[in-house]
Amino acid sequence: MRRSSRGMIITASALVICFCALLMMMFDYHGAREEAGAAYIERGTIDTGAANLVSAIYLNYRLFDTLLEILVFSVAVLGVRFYLLERGKEEVVAEIPESQVVRTSADLLLPLILLLGIYLVLFGHLSPGGGFSGGTVAGTGLLLCAVALGADVVGRRFHEPTLERFEWGVLLAILLLALFPAVLRRLPLTDLLSPGRVGSMVSGGSILIYNVLIGVKVFIGTWVIIHYFVRHRGEI
Amino acid sequence: MALINGVTIAIVLFGIGLLGLILRRDLVIKLLALGLVNGSTILCLVSLNARVDGVAPIVHFPASVPYVDPLPHALVLSAIVINFAILALALVFVMLLVERYHTTDSQRIEHEIKGERIP
Repeated sequence: MRRSSRGMIITASALVICFCALLMMMFDYHGAREEAGAAYIERGTIDTGAANLVSAIYLNYRLFDTLLEILVFSVAVLGVRFYLLERGKEEVVAEIPESQVVRTSADLLLPLILLLGIYLVLFGHLSPGGGFSGGTVAGTGLLLCAVALGADVVGRRFHEPTLERFEWGVLLAILLLALFPAVLRRLPLTDLLSPGRVGSMVSGGSILIYNVLIGVKVFIGTWVIIHYFVRHRGEI
Repeated sequence: MALINGVTIAIVLFGIGLLGLILRRDLVIKLLALGLVNGSTILCLVSLNARVDGVAPIVHFPASVPYVDPLPHALVLSAIVINFAILALALVFVMLLVERYHTTDSQRIEHEIKGERIP
């Protein structure tokens, strides 16, 4: 027992030292890194038409990474659902005593939170934001709603099987959108739409479409995870 | 370069998180430590590319100030999403383990799995 914990401390220190050594080496390594960044900064808006260079990278230059990232997210949602359904027995969600303060603040804040989520999704190519953050913000708004009204009341508003089918439909749409250029004998993941005028609402090629699809996907995924946890834990 | 900057804080946080991940026996605290490790990684990626005179890489014409490198920010996005996915899945597994063994103590769970007497 004692010896094994000493071994663990040694292993942990070795890992930390290796991590630090890696960082020290990265400090010396300046050239290529700045060059790559400079190329993105120089050509990013011209190539993609998006004012937000981070979106330009993760939804245009490195779309392939983002597709796999969405797959990881979907697999996580699927895993949560699968293992919690496997566990069976749902608990009756305990009624939260109605609180006027929570209820009133939820009524006030929910429209604002949803609006912020939609804004982050729609303007992801022009300002900070994007599908992932906007979807999470909107999903968290639903969590607030679930705290105020009870998760089952919110869950009943949605038809869950349709919601889940819709989630997978959105994932399919993202993948098909990425593969669609292959039909036109172009390389997959090519952006077919024109970059447009930088800074206007309709610009950035397909980035806006991807942002909306990812936003819907993350919104539904967040809500599904929250709802399954609440349903199987019995309380929020 | 100042001794206390984002990278050194990230290293310290990483160490704390790693120690917590290895030494603490409670599964939930292990997951919290994993979150700390992830947060320190993000802090490291962001602060390695921070520039004193730089602005966020969102183009406003005319560009007069240098932008920071946008590439690590895109990587941080993946890191956040994948951390979220891992935490959600791991919490489900912890729920299943707690249901079966009625404890979040990893060593007790291991002892029970091996069928040994719990010390």
